[in-house]
Amino acid sequence: MGPTVSRRAVFGGSLALPFLGRSGFAAAPIPLGAINPLTGAGGAYGPSMAKVAQALTARINSTGGVLGRSIALDIEDDQTNPTVAVEAAHKLIDVNKVVAIVGTWASSVTTAVAPLCWQSHTMLFCTSGADSITKLPHHGYIIRTQPNTYLQSGRAAQFLLQHGARSVFGLSAQTPFAVDSWNRLAAVLKTGGASGAGDIIYDPKQISFRSEIGKALAAKPDTLFLNSYAPDLEILLRETYQAGFSGNRFTFAYAATDAVLQALPASVTNGLWSFAPSPDVASPAYRAVQAILGINDPDPYSCQIYDHVSLVVLAIARAGAASGVAIHDNVRKISQGTGEKVSDPVAGLKLLAAGKEINYEGASGPCDFTPSGDIVSCKFLFQVAENKHNKTLFIS
Amino acid sequence: MLDYLASLAVFAGIYALLGLGLNLVWGLGGMVNLGLAGFFAIGAYASALSALHLHFPLVAASFFAMLLAAAAGALLAVVTARLKGDYLAIVTLGFAEVIQLIAGNEIWLTNGTDGLSAIPAPGRGTLSPLAFDLSSAGIVWLVLAAIAAAFGRLSAAPYGRVLRAIREDEMVARIAGKNVLSFKIGAFSASAAVMGLAGSLYAAYDGYVAPDSFDVLVTLLVVLALTAGGVGRMQGALVGAVLVVVLTEGTRFFGGLLPGLSALQVASLRQGVIGLFLLLLLRVKPDGLLPERIRVHPLDDEGETTR
Repeated sequence: MGPTVSRRAVFGGSLALPFLGRSGFAAAPIPLGAINPLTGAGGAYGPSMAKVAQALTARINSTGGVLGRSIALDIEDDQTNPTVAVEAAHKLIDVNKVVAIVGTWASSVTTAVAPLCWQSHTMLFCTSGADSITKLPHHGYIIRTQPNTYLQSGRAAQFLLQHGARSVFGLSAQTPFAVDSWNRLAAVLKTGGASGAGDIIYDPKQISFRSEIGKALAAKPDTLFLNSYAPDLEILLRETYQAGFSGNRFTFAYAATDAVLQALPASVTNGLWSFAPSPDVASPAYRAVQAILGINDPDPYSCQIYDHVSLVVLAIARAGAASGVAIHDNVRKISQGTGEKVSDPVAGLKLLAAGKEINYEGASGPCDFTPSGDIVSCKFLFQVAENKHNKTLFIS
Repeated sequence: MLDYLASLAVFAGIYALLGLGLNLVWGLGGMVNLGLAGFFAIGAYASALSALHLHFPLVAASFFAMLLAAAAGALLAVVTARLKGDYLAIVTLGFAEVIQLIAGNEIWLTNGTDGLSAIPAPGRGTLSPLAFDLSSAGIVWLVLAAIAAAFGRLSAAPYGRVLRAIREDEMVARIAGKNVLSFKIGAFSASAAVMGLAGSLYAAYDGYVAPDSFDVLVTLLVVLALTAGGVGRMQGALVGAVLVVVLTEGTRFFGGLLPGLSALQVASLRQGVIGLFLLLLLRVKPDGLLPERIRVHPLDDEGETTR
């Protein structure tokens, strides 16, 4: 008679399966949290962000972890809703005891979660754009890899000046950054001798913008600054065309999507300028994100969360301790300064272990931060719509 | 872990308050008030703004929130007095949308989609996060107990019987000499006041309100909670709210047990499991976990109710 295996043993063994293969590290894993918009309005970005964070964590763990400990990553869905995010953050902070939370996307989510983080000395790495975020009294516990409105609108205004804009009218969807965005744009235009002809903030849920467009065109601008999302941009483009506007139009790349360009005739969309903060496409870290996602042009947020995870592990290694305070005190020591430039967190860990200083340059950009947690600079992509597709003008 | 449980208790208590408010108009009065998120938002913003700009303490801010929400409730009751069923549901849902749009667009008042942050609350900043969560949970559940007791009394009192009569047949209630409109206005205002109070407690606890917080998701959750708990029973609202929080939060912990699934698959599965559980629950217990009990007097030989 052969060996007998009871059904109970098989069942018990199969329950234990998920827990196998986690050993190999002497000490307990370092808990790290991610709050991503897996569903809801940010659902287009959350899943790839989560995938990048998981893949990078797995790679760091397979090469020996940090301080001899593995990273235990817990990803929570915020449904792009601040209340759900607060519950998720409570769970990560109080139950998982995470040292940092990475990858919050919506500005409302980041603002809602931030107080829980700074009160519990948990570092928060976000990809949200609202300027108000880094103005919160966060005591250094927020790091933002997304360029704020100030940086973005300043660069947009320079582009418009270079391309001969003299009188720009702003049509902005009601968003946390609508007002700041326009004010900064108008200020930079003014220094270049051009002017803001006026601006209107509209409700993006409308199905027509005829009255807004009427007001805008009455100011006789040569350029429209369309601070829109994709659905309202589509209507704005069609209706400004119908209203006979023949000047330039400038918008954000996340609004000028292929879907919008495909939905409208080329004669309507041709010449539409759009721009976006660009990841550093020349960086090895960017190629790593491409490899993880298996696509050529990963979105900026996936690149940013790659940097979030890298910054966390490098700061922990530099501190020699895994805590929110350790990351808080060391994140700028590994991301800027005169140390050796690295784009690969695993290579960075080796250099730190050898007692060297490093300067992490990531997939999203140089990752140098101001005292309030904003990035100092990054690259921007400018493109123009031609025959229903966006053509890259330049990255700079 | 205790902080987390305390924070869940706070959220469950807030959902239960919303459930109680909904139960008064829907469960007893039969008026489907899907404007819940709107009253919740009015309460939250009224409390947050009065605390931030007028330095109202939480109690005063909460009374202000209740007053404003009750006034909005009375107004909505008058406007919708002749609507019933689906039509009332649509109009009240529209009301909630309008409030969310106002919160998003009247920047001078609400700070737009940026929201209002750093809303003061008793103990924030001075207590440790754990102590703050525990004391908040205590406050919310004390308030909840008081409201639940009051609504329980109201439900058993003649007032509750009239509301039920209006629910069953408005014409009969009117023929019996009841002023249906004033009862509707009363029930709507009382329900809105409790929802406003829930909003005030939410704003104080979270320290941050933004239009995103008051989308249709809140309404859905509370309607689900009340349906699962039992429409018409005040305890049903409490049980339902706890059940929904246990379900939504409990499922967070299963993701780790499912290797080989992407984060998106786990998130989607989680919402699927919650939906499936509620469907099955209502299949097995169509009237919810705690169905409404209506006292029926037995008939005597002549077909009259006994006394």
